[in-house]
Amino acid sequence: MRTPATLRLTFASLRAHRRRFLGTFAAVLLGVAFLTGTLVMGDTLRTSFDAMFTGATRGTDAVVRSATVVTAAGEAQGTRGPVDSGLADRLEGIPGVAAAAPLVEGAGQLLAADGTPVGGKGPPTLAGNWIEDPALNPYRLAEGRAPSAPGEAVVNRGAAKAGGLGIGDTTVLRTPDPVRVTVVGLATFGGADGMGQVTWTGLTRADAERYLTARPGEATSIAVRAGPGVSQEELVAALAPALPEGVEAITGQRAAEENTEMVSGRFLDLFTTFLLVFSGIAVLVSVFTIHNTFAVLIAQRTRENALLRAVGAARRQIVTGTLAEALAVGLLASAAGLLAGIGVAAGLQALFPAVGFPFPEGDLIITAGSLALPLGVGLAVCAGSALLPAVRAGRTAPLAALRETDVDGSGTSRARALTGGALLAAAVATVLAGVLGTPSLWLAAAGAGLAVAAFVVLGPVAASVAVRALGRPLRGANRGLARRNALRSPGRTAATATALMIGVAVVTLFTVFGASLKATMDRTVDRSFAGDVAIGAPSFGAGGSGLSPRLAPAVAALPEVDTAVGLGSAVAEVDGRGRALTVTDPAALARTLDLGEVRGSLTGLGTDGLAVAADEAAASGLAPGRTAELTFTDGTRGTFTVRAVYERADLAGDYLVTREAWAPHRTQDADRLVAVAFADGVSDADGKAAVTAVADRYGQPEVQTRDEYAEASAGGIDMMLTLVYALLALAVLIALLGIANTLTLAVHERTRELGLLRAVGQTRAQLRAMVRWESVLVAAFGTLGGLTLGGFLGWVLVRASEGSGDSALAFAVPAASLAAVALVGLVAGVVAAWRPARRAARLEILRAIAQE
Amino acid sequence: MTTATHAPAGYADAARVLDAVKVYGRGDTEVRALDGVSVDFPAGRFTAVMGPSGSGKSTLLHCAAGLDTLTSGAAFVGGTDLSTLDDRRLTLLRRDRVGFVFQAFNLLPTLTVAENITLPLDLAGRTPDRARFDRLVDTVGLRDRLHHRPGELSGGQQQRVAVARAFVGDPDVVFADEPTGNLDSRSGEEVLRLLGRTARETGRTVVMVTHDPVAAAHADEVVFLADGRLVDRMAAPTADRVLDRMKAFETGTGAKAVETDTGAQAFETGSGAKAFEAGTGDSASAGSEAGATRGATT
Repeated sequence: MRTPATLRLTFASLRAHRRRFLGTFAAVLLGVAFLTGTLVMGDTLRTSFDAMFTGATRGTDAVVRSATVVTAAGEAQGTRGPVDSGLADRLEGIPGVAAAAPLVEGAGQLLAADGTPVGGKGPPTLAGNWIEDPALNPYRLAEGRAPSAPGEAVVNRGAAKAGGLGIGDTTVLRTPDPVRVTVVGLATFGGADGMGQVTWTGLTRADAERYLTARPGEATSIAVRAGPGVSQEELVAALAPALPEGVEAITGQRAAEENTEMVSGRFLDLFTTFLLVFSGIAVLVSVFTIHNTFAVLIAQRTRENALLRAVGAARRQIVTGTLAEALAVGLLASAAGLLAGIGVAAGLQALFPAVGFPFPEGDLIITAGSLALPLGVGLAVCAGSALLPAVRAGRTAPLAALRETDVDGSGTSRARALTGGALLAAAVATVLAGVLGTPSLWLAAAGAGLAVAAFVVLGPVAASVAVRALGRPLRGANRGLARRNALRSPGRTAATATALMIGVAVVTLFTVFGASLKATMDRTVDRSFAGDVAIGAPSFGAGGSGLSPRLAPAVAALPEVDTAVGLGSAVAEVDGRGRALTVTDPAALARTLDLGEVRGSLTGLGTDGLAVAADEAAASGLAPGRTAELTFTDGTRGTFTVRAVYERADLAGDYLVTREAWAPHRTQDADRLVAVAFADGVSDADGKAAVTAVADRYGQPEVQTRDEYAEASAGGIDMMLTLVYALLALAVLIALLGIANTLTLAVHERTRELGLLRAVGQTRAQLRAMVRWESVLVAAFGTLGGLTLGGFLGWVLVRASEGSGDSALAFAVPAASLAAVALVGLVAGVVAAWRPARRAARLEILRAIAQE
Repeated sequence: MTTATHAPAGYADAARVLDAVKVYGRGDTEVRALDGVSVDFPAGRFTAVMGPSGSGKSTLLHCAAGLDTLTSGAAFVGGTDLSTLDDRRLTLLRRDRVGFVFQAFNLLPTLTVAENITLPLDLAGRTPDRARFDRLVDTVGLRDRLHHRPGELSGGQQQRVAVARAFVGDPDVVFADEPTGNLDSRSGEEVLRLLGRTARETGRTVVMVTHDPVAAAHADEVVFLADGRLVDRMAAPTADRVLDRMKAFETGTGAKAVETDTGAQAFETGSGAKAFEAGTGDSASAGSEAGATRGATT
């Protein structure tokens, strides 16, 4: 922008070539819109949730709770021991305390009017006592009344709507023992129908203590309200002397912060990061698309630039002019993208409640950051993508104005092949180093990065080989012409295909990884589950309430059943490290689960015995006969002796303790799984029917055969994959735009050729087919590259994950899914060619031939 | 006369136009490129169409060949009335029954010489007759160039490939639009000889538009056009006679201020590109030589 002349030329060129920038514009717009939408929605959700929490818990000035917290490895939130609920009455006597109420909380899975679970697909399903003091109760009665008699319940309005429940309806609450409750009131949380999709059922305090705690008189925490003029800090200071050992008091503000941290800090950040990763992929794909557009435009404009150089334009002026053009497109597209992104966020805000996700009310939060970042990215992507082409434009020799442009043979140089080959070799070597021997995620990731780079560098070299091979079976003049057109500029073909390749690679990566996880689950169940049916509470994430501990004995009592063993979950610190324990009958467990080789004996673990999985034992230095000190959430310690070491931890977990050993420390009792083995001679159908009949009395948990159990265990993976595919659709769409745009430019470039072809007898249909086949060839190349790259990266991820997982992952290649991906890629090619082919076919022959 | 069947060999006219009128634009900007031309191109003959720039000779060729449509009147190829054909059938007619040689850019840069020659047959899904193809290749003298790309050929060689392509499908008529316009005189001479020889050897009809009396002298007959009308015909032309006749038109009609003494360049007032080339003097021949070392795409 040294001189106004450069700028004038820039704008003149933009005006003249509006249509050619359409693809670039759309690519930037989509990427920026995705990014903006994510940021705005993230900020809005965060702010709304924070406001909701703060509003809901405003009346709580202090929270008294157990100071002991045990956090097992991989858990987001630690488990705290209970406090004595009688403490609340004593606290109320302290000066400065206006009120204190015990909070009894636990898992409570509400059943809908039709008997299916409400929610439970991720967010927690909670139950608690209804607190009479409205200031201390985060829930507000919206309709009806508070529970006053046993069996009466208040349900948050969102859960009631989802479950089709109204006041006066009777349903079941699994705690996990099925409890019949009558809905007497509907509640709101912080003004919304619920805390996100968390379901909450409020019971009388007596009911809550009875069903949600191990013993009466225990509370999760105590909420305290300060008297007039007493600050939260003063209240905490006043409470401290009255607290027994192992109990602490924190301000209400800090408690709210901890809660919001759970939602905003973990869930929302994870959610936003997840979306940002996918907008990143979309932006990466647009970079290739935009770079390619500019490269083609510059090549087409060689004469124009040469003329400028000939009449005295400096190299720098050409470069800045081109960059200014890119920036102008970037600015326009980014601005449109910002608006579109805000529109998307607003649309989601309106849409979420309609699909049952209570998006908190409130204005959209549009921070300067969530505008500046996408704008910056949009501009950087445009300018960055145009940089190399601009520099190339600057190098245009003035004499090029007099020459006809060359057939572009770029991109197949020996140097490129060597560089790419070296990169690929380095990638393979690094990956092998990363996955062989001790798996290293870092080495594998570095190798994966090198592989992506190698593919991008090798693209043009591979393009000529691949298109030739892919096009070989194509017979007929039009297809032959299509093949040659795709081959005439391997660099351009590769750049066009690279965008699609990246998209397809990511899709393939997830498909392969998902299939591998499923195969792993299948294998695990196949290998470790020795029973006939499994009873599982459909639980995913923090949802669900588990199974009644009385279910396993009831099932075991059936004549059709040989063994039924429940597996419950517990946490404790083992020699100072937080660990998840499995509470079960270890002696019977071996009859329904295949634990592999067992050293020592699983019988007679008693109240001070422990069984440990072999890998964990090796890592912790435990062996049969050695002792370990366990610290429970109630603050008590016990010395346990390792009585057995077993081989397979797949379903059993790392530590086994007996119910008797856990009983003194237990909280709300629940089994996560009941494994059932039928008696000899009982058919699968008879056995399953008998077990189902019993299970129906315990809140209708699902009774699954081995295959069903394996499938249900993998259910979350499909859900995740669907979401990932939906998010990747945008990247594929941008890649499509890229192909369409390059084709449009190519059609423009080849106007005279097309005119000649039409003159010597190519019909319009043949011409359209020719353009379409070229597009399909490019798409096929990109898809093939993507499948290869994605498959490789998937393999790397699976192999590298072995080190971080409990057991080795199985690598699976889902042929059907990958064939579907390939088909989508090819169809994408056909779709991308739609408009360019139509435009090409509409050319007037005489004008096309006369075209300069 | 109006039967829409393929004309048998020896049919009187390979192509003809009847009362052809072609009007471009409307109102003030209306241009009558053809103003009631009726002319027939007898089968087996090489006819040149001459006339000053703007006389409508290119329009006549385009309309007779089915590349453009008449405003009124009729154009026939063999016995087929072109106005009765839709775009698809017109395209098929061009593919199967007409051959083309344009002034420039006759070849697809991605195809080899052999593939360029057989392009119309390939588009039709027909296999070229081997013997016929060989004979044609030998006639145009490109046997050692068959697997080269057009970018590796000189301008004259490229036009010879175009001539071979025009004749490969055994068409009723070959239309050539200033086929030597971009060539130096020696290459042009070769191409013209080739056109004449091929037409006579294969018994095909050739219609060539040109502004060059020397080129026109290669034809069996010259048809003169001026202001969109047929003004004269001359059998067994020579360059001198044609030039004299052209001069006569210039002075006779006074319609065009053309410096007749500059010969071939006299009517060269077409597109800007042509003017540019004319202005650079010998660049036409220099350009065609340079053409051998570079690609031909634009």
